[in-house]
Amino acid sequence: MNKFEYVNASSVKSATEQLQSDGSVRIKAGGIDILDELKERTINPKRLVNIKTVGGLKEIKEVKDSLHIGTLVTLSELASNKQVKTLFPALAEAALGAATPQIRNVATIGGNICQRPRCWYYRSEEFSCLKKGGNECHAHLGDNRFHAIFGNDKCAMVHPSATAVALVALQAKLKIEDTKGHRIVEIDNFFVKPEENAKAENILKPTEIITEVILAKPAVGSRNFYIKLKEKQSFDWPMADVAVAMEMAGGVCKAARVVLGAAAPVPWRAVAVEKALVGKKVDASVAEEVSRLAIEGAKPMSHNGYKLKVFETIVARALSVVASGDFSSKEGF
Amino acid sequence: MAIKIVVNGQDLEVSVSPMKRLLDVLRQDCYLTGTKEGCGEGECGACSVLVDGEVINSCLVPVCQVEGSEIVTVEGLAENGKLVPVQEAFIKYGAAQCGICIPGMLMAAQALLDSKELSKQTPTRYEIREAIAGNLCRCTGYMKIVDAIEAAALSTLEKK
Amino acid sequence: MTVGQSVNRKEGRDKVTGAAKYVDDYHFQDIWYGKTVRSTVAHAQITGIEFLAGFDWSTVVLADYRDITSRNIVALIYDDQPLLAESLVRHVYEPILLIAAPTKELAELAAKHVHITYKKLPAVLTIEDSLSAEQKIFGDDNVFKSYTVTRGNVEDAFQSAEVVVEETYHVGHQEQLYIETNGIIATAKSDGTILIQGSMQCPYYVHRAIKELFGLPDEKVVVVQNVTGGGFGGKEEFPSVVAGHAALLAKKCGHPVKIVYERGEDFVASTKRHPAVIRHRTGLTRDGRLIAAEIDLTFDGGAYCTLSPVVLSRGVIHALGPYKCPNIRVTGKVVATNTPPNGAFRGFGVPQACFASEMHMENISRKLDISPVELRRKNMLHQGDYTLTGQQLTYSVGTQQVLDAVLERSDYLARRSHKQPELSNKRYGIGLSFYYHGGGFTGSGEEKIKGQAAVELTAEGTVRILTASTEIGQGTRTIFSQIVAQELGLRPEDVEFEENDTSKVPDSGPTVASRTCMVVGRVVQMAAASLKEEMAKRIASLAQCQASEIQFEGRHLLWQKDGEIISVSFAEAAERCMSRTGFLKTTAQYSSPPGIKWDDVTYSGDAYPVYAYAADVVEVEVDMDTFEVKILKVTTATDVGKAINPTLAEGQIEGGTVQALGYGLFEEVAWKDGKILNNRLTNYIIPTSLDIPDMETVLIENPYPYGPYGAKGIGELPMDGGAPALVAAIADAVGAVVTEIPATPERIMEAMEKLAVEA
Repeated sequence: MNKFEYVNASSVKSATEQLQSDGSVRIKAGGIDILDELKERTINPKRLVNIKTVGGLKEIKEVKDSLHIGTLVTLSELASNKQVKTLFPALAEAALGAATPQIRNVATIGGNICQRPRCWYYRSEEFSCLKKGGNECHAHLGDNRFHAIFGNDKCAMVHPSATAVALVALQAKLKIEDTKGHRIVEIDNFFVKPEENAKAENILKPTEIITEVILAKPAVGSRNFYIKLKEKQSFDWPMADVAVAMEMAGGVCKAARVVLGAAAPVPWRAVAVEKALVGKKVDASVAEEVSRLAIEGAKPMSHNGYKLKVFETIVARALSVVASGDFSSKEGF
Repeated sequence: MAIKIVVNGQDLEVSVSPMKRLLDVLRQDCYLTGTKEGCGEGECGACSVLVDGEVINSCLVPVCQVEGSEIVTVEGLAENGKLVPVQEAFIKYGAAQCGICIPGMLMAAQALLDSKELSKQTPTRYEIREAIAGNLCRCTGYMKIVDAIEAAALSTLEKK
Repeated sequence: MTVGQSVNRKEGRDKVTGAAKYVDDYHFQDIWYGKTVRSTVAHAQITGIEFLAGFDWSTVVLADYRDITSRNIVALIYDDQPLLAESLVRHVYEPILLIAAPTKELAELAAKHVHITYKKLPAVLTIEDSLSAEQKIFGDDNVFKSYTVTRGNVEDAFQSAEVVVEETYHVGHQEQLYIETNGIIATAKSDGTILIQGSMQCPYYVHRAIKELFGLPDEKVVVVQNVTGGGFGGKEEFPSVVAGHAALLAKKCGHPVKIVYERGEDFVASTKRHPAVIRHRTGLTRDGRLIAAEIDLTFDGGAYCTLSPVVLSRGVIHALGPYKCPNIRVTGKVVATNTPPNGAFRGFGVPQACFASEMHMENISRKLDISPVELRRKNMLHQGDYTLTGQQLTYSVGTQQVLDAVLERSDYLARRSHKQPELSNKRYGIGLSFYYHGGGFTGSGEEKIKGQAAVELTAEGTVRILTASTEIGQGTRTIFSQIVAQELGLRPEDVEFEENDTSKVPDSGPTVASRTCMVVGRVVQMAAASLKEEMAKRIASLAQCQASEIQFEGRHLLWQKDGEIISVSFAEAAERCMSRTGFLKTTAQYSSPPGIKWDDVTYSGDAYPVYAYAADVVEVEVDMDTFEVKILKVTTATDVGKAINPTLAEGQIEGGTVQALGYGLFEEVAWKDGKILNNRLTNYIIPTSLDIPDMETVLIENPYPYGPYGAKGIGELPMDGGAPALVAAIADAVGAVVTEIPATPERIMEAMEKLAVEA
């Protein structure tokens, strides 16, 4: 670890004032990812600005018809917060299913959606890939069982954040601040495909900080849910996950969002499913029927064809759960 | 940079890089080698300690993150040589084999035993398994560890 | 009676208070840190090593093969593995250069400033490529070692078979994944002595390797085992490499040198379980009796031989499982590839062989439409039967007992026929495995090793055990203290241990091969019996009674004189016994049970003095859409001979079974170009507490007359049967047999598709 200056920020303003466009100053929130990057020397900052000392970023507060989640709220706080559990079970489930109890106690929502990829070629020192300035994606010719089935032409990473999948389904907005003030970004416009920029996963500039995640309270008759398939039963990065948010009136779907995780380099909206749901009275058989559209346009690679069936299945299940409103599928032996 | 922390009830001031891992500060600067490193990336839980009552991986947390916090390590469980119920139970039920995961496992178990819910009833075996799901053990197959925590929960509840 | 009691683990208190000191917990004032620079290519000539500018090379010390004063080898069987590569590298991660520095960070920074250039050679990366021998990387045929075992007349028997079942099974690498990574501290003393301490199973293996490396006599190398955080075979031969590296650096830089691997390095640098391809062809009568079998095993040894011939040998001998078949031929070979060398891992060739043989039984049972239980009952070994090496089993054969016990405890028959109601997309399955494992070294191995142990009286009037058998979590110290306490009428807490230091303890042989309790425990018992005899003799001469009249009970020596019982405390007796000599120490050495015969040339005879037997039942629920497998319940029954400490014995069985379930369900090493893709705990998946349900563990005691109080070796046995029972349960649920593990959702889907095509 090289030497760097370390500063405690007292306010968002004082934090953003120190940020530089060349990326030489970095923000530290929960510290997990940044410690990792410092250790692996993938970054070499001159200065580190600690925002843990900034007041107000650790709260979940109600503002009119929205819930404002501070960027420093931890995953365990999200998973256990009553309002989040009631209004946004998709987010609570995604947060609860992420990582281990120890990590959930430290990892923040802001850090979680900005996570770097878990791709084993990206993480291995022995492979230079597009994300690291190399000229190929090794997943195309190598073992790609955990890689993308959508949007994988260039880089086949899958976006690692489970909470991001839920937030896209819930149409979250992100409050992003810099010295000039703040902007509100629709989460749909936050993540970046490799075709646009292979080296970054989102639009956040080195001079900016996410300070809040804003969720509009769902309309009456709306429901949302999240399901993941994992390699082991304990908390882990998903092999495939899905979040569904549906607005319903009299059992008929008025609008829906179906978002697939671990499917593409960004949280992936299954637009065909969303469209097909509108105007339908959703039950188990409709869920199953429209779930087949979830893999429309998929381009599986040599080792990840199994994901097609998996996505169909978990989409159908998530839709059934949302339609029935029965969220009581507790694990146990 | 001087950082103040409270470790096992003792006020300490350590002069280290703020991004030094809490694990290294405990082992190298506080001479508390009971906390172990198994993977260095938060997956095995051998480095688990309590920070203000919550169990965390000390390999993932820079020391500046816990400035002013109360930290409890495995060395801080027993008081004046008297083992706490979960330590006693780990011995009695054969929960420790090679022992390298045990310091972290005990901290995760203690966090569960300290949780508010336990003031009313003992956790189910599944809840115990959930509480230690961030702690890998390669020796025991977890049976005897779950047995031990279950027994410790019962004796803790009886005392309350 | 202390033998048979679940007394507390001897070092339990240290392990729950954080007081137990593992190698990384030792720190010396002037210590330096070692770093290994490794090959990044699978097969190549080294054309140059460049030390880049931008680093102050005067701050570190470098070592390469030229610094080795005697033989550049990791001494083992063939001595083909160099400690440091010279001009050729044969696998990715092969060590080439060593760096020592005052801090770990500096050593790592230096390593990043080393640039090695290569002229690449064609690499052999799979068993198939190696067998084709188009590219020769070992001898003329790339074969490290092969064996053939034959009994009866196989060709004729196949002619008369009514049914022939044939199938090929595949298993991949498995990482031991002890939670404590490899670590060693080496110190080169001014008198030329090399001191090694660290995490290891076999101090005398390291002792020999260091002697060979530097051409030193016995007394100039001292190896001390620290508290060791798991081994599972992974710390059998591999610590010799780490110790060699640390010693070389220590000699050169003049400081003690610590090398403790980070997880990622430990994963790629250390040995793994051998991948294997195993083909079974079996001839049977229509009613399911085995009459002919041909089994062919091919193991991937990796780039160097390590222990591969011995691993293969055990696989070959266990290839059929605990069944009788009068006509059988087993052929086995282990081949070279340009991948990291594979080595010892709990089970040592048997988990591979057992997966194949038990899945083959599953396939036979389906093909013949005979229940898995009936098939086993028809063919199982009983007392008096002969194994495939022609060994007649004359004692301690618990086959029928373990099968009966596991069926009863799991309620197998009822649960198999009355399946739980099926949810629309979930199916229940129940699977059985039945297996055995030979205790101790194969054939004449134990006779060659002549393991020793000693016991002595201490100045405090207690007893001390001197043995090189290591405590690695399996309970060596606890059970040995129980055995000695039992012999001498003491409590286990009255028994202490000499430090496991090669300059202080005799060579008991390595801590491997399920031999610690059964073989060394027996030697410890014999040494304690001699001590008792000697004490009785000395006390008898003082007390003027017959030595044979003296009883050792309740920490006292008792005898009768003139109708009165005379009693002396053990401590007092010990003091009297030592009054003239100052010490009393007795040593014992292993000798095989009478009548054991083994022929190394024909590979026939008594392969092991005794076998331990077990049967597992695993129940699963399979999601028929996603092919996720959830393990619902695991039941095992094990014939342990005698459980010296039932809690510890259960701990071995439960822990081994979970490793076996991991082997069957998730554990897989992913490769590209000879490089490992998943060298982290985030992507090499081992079972967590949530992947494993509660287990029922049944211990059956069928005493082995030549083990301590009847105990047999069970360290490895539980690693053998979990995977096939699990995959049989999956087959019961989905209807198709997966022939390659781990049984990932992808493989289950493929097996079902294949079955659908065949139908």
